[in-house]
Amino acid sequence: MASWKQMCAAFSVGVSLVAIAGCGAENESASSEGEKPSAEEGPFKFTIMANLHTAEVPEKEVQHLLEEATNTELDIQWVPDSNYEERLNTAFATGTLPQAVYMKNQTTYDQFKDAIRDGQFWEIGPYLDEYENLKKLKPEVVENTMVDGKVYALYQGRPLARSGIIYRKDWADNLGLEAPTTIEEFAEMARAFTEDDPDGNGRDDTIGLTDRNDLVYGAFKTVASWHGTPNGWGEKDGELLPEFMFDEYIDTLDFFKELHENGYMNKDFPVTSKPDQQALLKNGTAGIYVGSMGDVLTLYSEASQINPDLEFDVHNYVEGPDGEYNIWAIPGYGNLVIFPKSAVQTEEELKSILSFYDQLMEPENANLIYWGIEDEHYTIEDGKAVAIEDTQRTEREVKPYQSIEIGEAETNGRYLGQSHYPVKLKADELEIDNESYLVHDPTTTLHSPTAQTHGERLQQIINDATYQYILGQTDLAGFEQAVETWRSQGGDDMISEYNESYNQQ
Amino acid sequence: MDSPIMANKKWTRTKAERRQELWRKIKKNKWIYLMIAPGLLYFFVYKYIPMYGLIIAFQDYKPYLGITGSEWVGLDHFRRLFADPDFWMIFKNTLVLFALQVCISFPVPIILALMLNELRSRAYQRSIQTMIYIPHFMSWVVIVSISYVMLTLDGGIVNNILRALQFDQINFLLNPEWFRPMYILQIIWREAGWGTIIFLAAIAAVDPQLYEAAKMDGANRFRQMWHITLPAIRSVIIVLLILKIGDVLELGFEHVYLLLNASNREVAEIFDTYVYTAGLRQGQFSYSTAVGFFKGVVGLILVVMANWLAKRYGEEGIY
Repeated sequence: MASWKQMCAAFSVGVSLVAIAGCGAENESASSEGEKPSAEEGPFKFTIMANLHTAEVPEKEVQHLLEEATNTELDIQWVPDSNYEERLNTAFATGTLPQAVYMKNQTTYDQFKDAIRDGQFWEIGPYLDEYENLKKLKPEVVENTMVDGKVYALYQGRPLARSGIIYRKDWADNLGLEAPTTIEEFAEMARAFTEDDPDGNGRDDTIGLTDRNDLVYGAFKTVASWHGTPNGWGEKDGELLPEFMFDEYIDTLDFFKELHENGYMNKDFPVTSKPDQQALLKNGTAGIYVGSMGDVLTLYSEASQINPDLEFDVHNYVEGPDGEYNIWAIPGYGNLVIFPKSAVQTEEELKSILSFYDQLMEPENANLIYWGIEDEHYTIEDGKAVAIEDTQRTEREVKPYQSIEIGEAETNGRYLGQSHYPVKLKADELEIDNESYLVHDPTTTLHSPTAQTHGERLQQIINDATYQYILGQTDLAGFEQAVETWRSQGGDDMISEYNESYNQQ
Repeated sequence: MDSPIMANKKWTRTKAERRQELWRKIKKNKWIYLMIAPGLLYFFVYKYIPMYGLIIAFQDYKPYLGITGSEWVGLDHFRRLFADPDFWMIFKNTLVLFALQVCISFPVPIILALMLNELRSRAYQRSIQTMIYIPHFMSWVVIVSISYVMLTLDGGIVNNILRALQFDQINFLLNPEWFRPMYILQIIWREAGWGTIIFLAAIAAVDPQLYEAAKMDGANRFRQMWHITLPAIRSVIIVLLILKIGDVLELGFEHVYLLLNASNREVAEIFDTYVYTAGLRQGQFSYSTAVGFFKGVVGLILVVMANWLAKRYGEEGIY
């Protein structure tokens, strides 16, 4: 594809040069000479495929500035995040992957590990030391991206645990409730928000928790952490087992089942999308949101347009039955970028791309793609960036480019954010506080061929059973039956493969 | 024209003569052939060449090795499919949805067309026709989202009405029993009006003298419909039915996929959605090709059977 485009470009350049040359009464030798040097001196062109979190492709102002700063010409293929896997696999199957490919998340990356092991992507580990900025990437996170001890990917840093509670402070005040510090208090808040008319309008029109069709980034996994469920996999009697074989997982199921049965959460949460889930909080139907605490800023800016009197607060510490607080952690990266050999044909080309990413990690460029243009999209206050209030504008012009960032503020030197909304500042603090209570997924660097090919389909069996249990469509026996199915269809292989890999480490 | 002598002469012509004759005919009709060419080319490029790709159903296909380089695994993927405990569930769901389409949503446009035909006022008929076409132009995403908003338990209008009338609320979206009715009603809502076009055209072609004769014999409007209109459009109905069966197992991937969720998977997962999740989202290219291949074979068998049955009962069929 790329070569075809290049041919077309070369052809059209050639044609126009011939035409110009013809006018000037010069002959073709001038045109063919004139073409080569310009191609070499000109900006380095390459293609990127990245996921788009906004509804529309961005305006190109930021990109042009970035291209100027790095002497490149970027062809970014924006793919909506919702069908990113599909496009990624299609491009892979048809051999049309671009030169730099973002992986979306750990799950998709796992799928590609097979091809990585087969040598389809460049191993970049040996080159990293040549680049001033790339070698600053955190070694502990880089290690989490390794395949068989080799580095293939540049990572995009993410706080280890952003999860917590966002709730209606004004409702809680009306009912004389404090932020919940135990699971029981959390359940009590959900009940009170549902039954005790927290908005004082005399009608039964509120619910407690709002959740969506996502067992990881929705409420479920965070609440499971509070109950003491391991993160993905955990150790039991010296053996690694998946989280759903732990009693704490079942406790979480029962907890959610009760919330759902009593109507303390939205009934149709297994088919509720993220915008719908957030709408329930914003429009004053629901009072508790469990998820990324940093979202409180956008939630507030939109909700306060509907109801200016509303107040949010954030909270993280919720004690489990054993009197301790636990929170699941990600491996330190969100997205990753890898470089297919089918598109990046020479070492030289790879180095040019790496050098682009090296420059991308310079503070000016990192700020440009993360915050936009100074005084236009953000201002500096006490050495921190404050984004303009017009979130729709930043969403159109800047936000999409955040998804090509490499590293994190600590390593690429971009400004940290400052907010005029104090609750957002508290959320940032609680994210750091979370780091004292992390539960890691032990399988991040382990290898299981079965998990790679069948992992997602097997997980679906468990996810379905989890929803069905909460909805009361199946009981404990039914859930155990699903676990049996999981085991017999490849789960047992996964368990033994992970344990073997674990014991080797 | 085909007198016995001429026919006899044909037998005696040599091969060269026949070829010449063929060329002469082609030359004579060269514009017609030219007009067919793009169509043939289309089918060749988009329908026949891709069939080459079916080979990967018998391989452990790795994109970077290509079809020539990938390892052959014979029928492994088919074995895996048939051994998959979900296979019969998917097979059953696909056939049930198909049967529902054929038995419930297929006759609706015919009934509608017959009813429209009975309207006396042309203008009235036209405006109703236009109104019932419109849903056809909405995408499934829109239709499914509208029904979602209406049917949800969290403030959906239908459940609010049920509650106001003191009835029990119904969990339309998460109750597997409601999946099929929802599926078929949405299809009827979207497609029934559009489907009337062909039937109305066929009805318009019926000779009015037949109706007059029937009236003379004292047939009322219902009798006229039963004994004249229906038999007159029978062949159209059968051709469309066979074509419908040709779409067998093309149940509208998008539609089903949008309705699919954790609690109705046991009745809603069909081959199309399975191929999509296994193939495109999880990257198992060979396996999902095998599933798609199997689906295609089942479809082919059904069409051949339907056509054979149609011919057996004296209809024209489609080929």
